[in-house]
Amino acid sequence: MKSKHLVIAAFALSTATFFGCTKEPLNNLNQEETRIYVTNKDSTASFSSYKTYSISDSVAVLNNGSSFKDLSPSDQAYIDAVNKYMQQRGYTLVSKESNPDIGIDVNRIYNTATGYYSDYWDGYGGYWDPYYWGYGGYDYYIPSSYGIYQITEGAMSIDMLDLKNAGSKNSIDVIWNGLIRGEGIFNATNADSGVKALFDQSAYLQSN
Amino acid sequence: MKALKIAPFVICILLVSQLNAQTGKVKMDIQYSYALPLGSFKNDVINNSSPRGVTGDILYNLNNKLSLGLGLGFQDFYQKYPRDVYKTGGNESTSAVLSNSVQIIPVLAKAEFYPLEGKKSPVQPYITAGAGLGITSFTQYLGEFGGTDNSASFMLQGGAGVIVPFSQRGTSGFKLGANYNMVSYKKNGFNNFDNLNVQAGLFFPLK
Repeated sequence: MKSKHLVIAAFALSTATFFGCTKEPLNNLNQEETRIYVTNKDSTASFSSYKTYSISDSVAVLNNGSSFKDLSPSDQAYIDAVNKYMQQRGYTLVSKESNPDIGIDVNRIYNTATGYYSDYWDGYGGYWDPYYWGYGGYDYYIPSSYGIYQITEGAMSIDMLDLKNAGSKNSIDVIWNGLIRGEGIFNATNADSGVKALFDQSAYLQSN
Repeated sequence: MKALKIAPFVICILLVSQLNAQTGKVKMDIQYSYALPLGSFKNDVINNSSPRGVTGDILYNLNNKLSLGLGLGFQDFYQKYPRDVYKTGGNESTSAVLSNSVQIIPVLAKAEFYPLEGKKSPVQPYITAGAGLGITSFTQYLGEFGGTDNSASFMLQGGAGVIVPFSQRGTSGFKLGANYNMVSYKKNGFNNFDNLNVQAGLFFPLK
């Protein structure tokens, strides 16, 4: 019997060892690798037909339904980067009073999700038997406000608006959107590379 | 959570060994496993080989040449692809580092056949076949965003190898072999997690 138990223990141990050796994808990403750059475009838009653009001088901060305007160092870095790559593609920056063909909005977005450690509290008497405290048979009372956690995830979003045809269409169409998610996106030093990635995968953004 | 994952293995082993321990005809093997993805698994999901695996069989010697029993194991496949741009929608493109991670836990009814058993030979070849479930966990991330799909699929296994008893007609020794594993996985455009694993370890009687 002893040898059998040793065999079982050895197998369990070896299995546990290999489970422990599982490569966890998120543990094998550096900060840059966590980021994704997503672009969407209006397939009917002819981007070469636009020549001028204007960009907002601050960003809209959207936080779970509320919004306000702000201009942090990273916000400014994103605006600067958009200007840099728009002009590299041949678009001309003009003031918004000069009837630009494209309007550009930059947005800083926060999404907060709320969760609850219900499993933890539900089984509390299982791992801390009230007998341990000298009150065997008693129940625990856990205030409902305990165990709530929140996770906030952020994104930077850049929208291009068709102002050239707004009058004829009676609407301001979003013809391009760039979205950046992942770690370090609110760091000013990462703004340029993020915006560059969005433009790199949008080769159609050319004024001629 | 790891303890929970391991629990089914230990329970299976306890059950089988309790049922057959009295006969003295139950043997077990524990082997390290190195696996190579094949076919569409290699082409579409992961082409890195996996050095992270273990297998364990508990077999009942029906006679000198044939053993039947249960085969278990674990194999972890992982690959991180360099940043690339993927088409993720009609007009949507996503630049991301793609990570794929697949874990396979076979739970198989197995048979092993020893054609030379009874003859004097320090090395005994065997062929093996198994059928059952491949419990799979497939995790895919674009950057740090993704999710996991857990499923249990039909799995077939065929293989061959040799055993080298420590002594003539010994009941314990070395075991070396290779298995072709067909793991069905038909979801989201993927076809299978087929792989070839080579394994080496020890076999011994449970009693």
